[in-house]
Amino acid sequence: MMPDNDHYVVIGNGPAGNHAAATLREKDKDARITIISDECVPYYYKPRLTGFIANEIRREKLFVSSWGSYKEQNIRIRLGQEVEKIDPDSKVLFLQHMEKINYTKLIIASGSRARLLPSMSRYADCLKFITSYTDVMEHKEAIRKANDFFIFGGDLVAFKFLKMLVAMGKTVTILIYPGAFWPYNLSDDMLAQITQSLSKFDVGIIIKDNVESIDEQEGSVLVKTRKGIEKKVNMVFSFNGLSPNIDFAKGSGIDIDHGILVDEYLRTNIKSIYACGSCAQIYNPAVKSYTASIGWPNAVAQGNVAGLNLLGDHKVIESAGRKYFDLEGVKIKTTWWDDIDDES
Amino acid sequence: MKKNDLYSKEEKFFQDKNKIYSAQSVKQIVYSTDARDFGQVAKSVPCQDACPAKTNIPGYIRTIFEKRYGRAYEINRIANIMPGVLGRICSRPCESACRHGEPDNGRSVGICHLKRSCADLKPSSHRIIEGLYASTGKKVAVVGSGPAGLAAAHDLAILGHEVVLFESMEKPGGMLMYGIPEFRLPRDLLMLEIKNILRLGIKLKTNMAIGPDISLSRLQEDYDAVALATGCVSPRKLGIPGEDFENVHNGLDFMKAVNEGKKPFAGEKVAVIGAGFTAVDCARSAVRLGGKDVSINIRKTFEYMRVDETEKYEAQLEGIKTYSLIQPSKIIGHNNKVTAVEFLRTRMEKTDRPPYRISVPIENSELVVRVDSVIAALGQVSDVNIMPKELSGLDKKTNRTGIDGLFVAGDFATGSSDVISAIAGGRRCAGDIDEYLTGEKRRQKVVRLENHVTTDRPRSYDFISKVEMNTIDMEERLFLSTNEVETGYSDSQARQEAKRCYLCNLKYEIDPLACIYCSACIDVAPKDCIKMIKNVFVNPDGTYGGYEETRDWNKVVSIAIDNTNCIRCGQCLAVCPMDCISVTKTELIEIDT
Repeated sequence: MMPDNDHYVVIGNGPAGNHAAATLREKDKDARITIISDECVPYYYKPRLTGFIANEIRREKLFVSSWGSYKEQNIRIRLGQEVEKIDPDSKVLFLQHMEKINYTKLIIASGSRARLLPSMSRYADCLKFITSYTDVMEHKEAIRKANDFFIFGGDLVAFKFLKMLVAMGKTVTILIYPGAFWPYNLSDDMLAQITQSLSKFDVGIIIKDNVESIDEQEGSVLVKTRKGIEKKVNMVFSFNGLSPNIDFAKGSGIDIDHGILVDEYLRTNIKSIYACGSCAQIYNPAVKSYTASIGWPNAVAQGNVAGLNLLGDHKVIESAGRKYFDLEGVKIKTTWWDDIDDES
Repeated sequence: MKKNDLYSKEEKFFQDKNKIYSAQSVKQIVYSTDARDFGQVAKSVPCQDACPAKTNIPGYIRTIFEKRYGRAYEINRIANIMPGVLGRICSRPCESACRHGEPDNGRSVGICHLKRSCADLKPSSHRIIEGLYASTGKKVAVVGSGPAGLAAAHDLAILGHEVVLFESMEKPGGMLMYGIPEFRLPRDLLMLEIKNILRLGIKLKTNMAIGPDISLSRLQEDYDAVALATGCVSPRKLGIPGEDFENVHNGLDFMKAVNEGKKPFAGEKVAVIGAGFTAVDCARSAVRLGGKDVSINIRKTFEYMRVDETEKYEAQLEGIKTYSLIQPSKIIGHNNKVTAVEFLRTRMEKTDRPPYRISVPIENSELVVRVDSVIAALGQVSDVNIMPKELSGLDKKTNRTGIDGLFVAGDFATGSSDVISAIAGGRRCAGDIDEYLTGEKRRQKVVRLENHVTTDRPRSYDFISKVEMNTIDMEERLFLSTNEVETGYSDSQARQEAKRCYLCNLKYEIDPLACIYCSACIDVAPKDCIKMIKNVFVNPDGTYGGYEETRDWNKVVSIAIDNTNCIRCGQCLAVCPMDCISVTKTELIEIDT
């Protein structure tokens, strides 16, 4: 049974999802609006997670929205519920606990998760990630108690996390993996520049090496590298970029490349389905290509535009992502087509 | 180590219980030709159903667990003939269908890696078993010694026919020998498995091409039947300006040259065009030839790459970049040598007929990439020039052509596919030729049903992480380009991975006459696999369709186990107070008619 009123469903409770839902509510007072999230907490600031671990930020300061704010906006929030698949023909979402949800229009703002390198999957049980509130709550106490850390990777969060650990007085070793900022590989010059930038911190830096093995041994973890370096540490963290959370959309008929493909209006190839935030790859008419985007401001802007366009507006997303990120003084391009353009 | 020490107390319990039960019910084996049983096997054992050769996957995985690698190899060979080869290069449709890979169940079982472990870990004294039929006195020529030709020759020889295998190249194996790089498929292993086939008395004639060396009509005169299995060897062209410049290779010729030990020019900047295994093989070979900036360029999105995740990952690990939504529009050259490729960006668009989603170029989106070489790996089509002009339509069901005694097999008949499909096609063709020569169908598929009393595995196995394949590092890969990248599972790794298989060949059933509808089984089921039903749908072909469920007890006619959702955990079996749940081992086998 389809609902009598419009039912707008937003998958994702981050900045893109919340701003999309808020825009929908502002423009359509009567529609049913539901946000579905696999996390169990209200909308929070991800960039503040490291500060929270270091006790610089209190828990309350993490949250953007309280439970009451959803109620005030008449937005139904369903937390801890994972979408398993989408059937666009019948406009039904299948949740993992076997519930079906009908929608009239859908916004996918499911964000990203930590990328686990295939070569590291055998050590998945030993690797820790910091990409969500749940990750933080799981590891926060352990991080405070531990002294020795090993960081594998080198994306934006890695260096933020590293600095936080140093500030907490921890002993840190980082193995910088050149492919961490996938799909962009760090060149030798870039590695040298990053190493130089990190040298002012008291950390062990390993480059041009790789992990040979990671073994858990009676409360500690032994990391061996291919070049024979051995580090016995308390915790090993992996920071190798993000992968869009889009598994549930695979096979649904929605075009997917790295992320969900959308045009400059944030429309997918399926009518009534939009995507925004870091799970989307947005067509950029200026470069005639699809670009990924990361970062809070982009997600907010895209959420607003997705909400407006879903209601019939025709707004073009102005910035399809920051073009560069600053990685310890090295500029990393977020769209790899630019490399080719530079040479043309 | 004593054999008994291999098993935990729990595992021994399963074995002993099954042994006792087998001894008591040795005659409780049924060979069924009922459409419902075929339908049940197809639906409930998705890995086997997805395999074009219908390999008994749970069967061989179970024997690996029992450390019977030789037996596991033979179970494989019954269906796919070359387990060592396929364990390395199969396209793995089974793994995509594996129930362990379904949402919430984890990752699919490493079926292909396990297949390889049968070949790697079987005893050196392993004995190959072939059930030979008496000689028929009929002669069959099989043209092409690729996977389809080898499979057809193998089955025809077993069926008692005298087989001569014609091969245009110097060595047998077709695409296996000349298309797949040695770092994925060692040639000594390939030759070993080819020799195992040839040992059945098959005569191999190499350097014999249809046309230049022997005519098809001559073969038709000299043999009672002829099977054409020459595969797809005519490369698809790019169809853009500049295609004929020097250092623009087609993928198949490039791989052929590499596999013949030649060193085709690749240069440092290499653009591979294509989205299949050959494209990835070409790119990885280019890296080994000194390529520093090697890219794979595909017209559609990553979703449409026709390679498995392992290949994508290995290519990435070797520094190969993949650019999606892009297609070449022009090859630019200087002094007749390629210097750059002009690409157009593409977007996806809907069509009303298959494949329903196509890529279309975006106007004025040209970009130019400087390259030293281009490799176009767009797939191949069959070379129909060797077919007689008077040939009428092909009946794909029987592999027959319009000409009496002339059959076609594998990719030559179906168009470009994969090795396992070609082997399955070759075997089907052999069956059709045998029927043509003897006037009877001598073998048929049946479902073997055998009572079983346990799940054969504890629930804890469901939570074992997937065992990754061991590989050599980059230095070793580049030190010798033929070094095999994957090094196989150890014995303990193979057994560990084997534990993960749900053993979907075990069918669970509730006896509705003994069931007291206590619903204890429903309460403990970890999946939505036990249902209260009011009706069972029957498909037009006589197989069972789905269940019609009800929550109204007044309408419930039975509580039934949905074997397409069941993960064979055995929880229901353990709690049933009436012992009304039975386990039956199902196997799709071939027997004499």
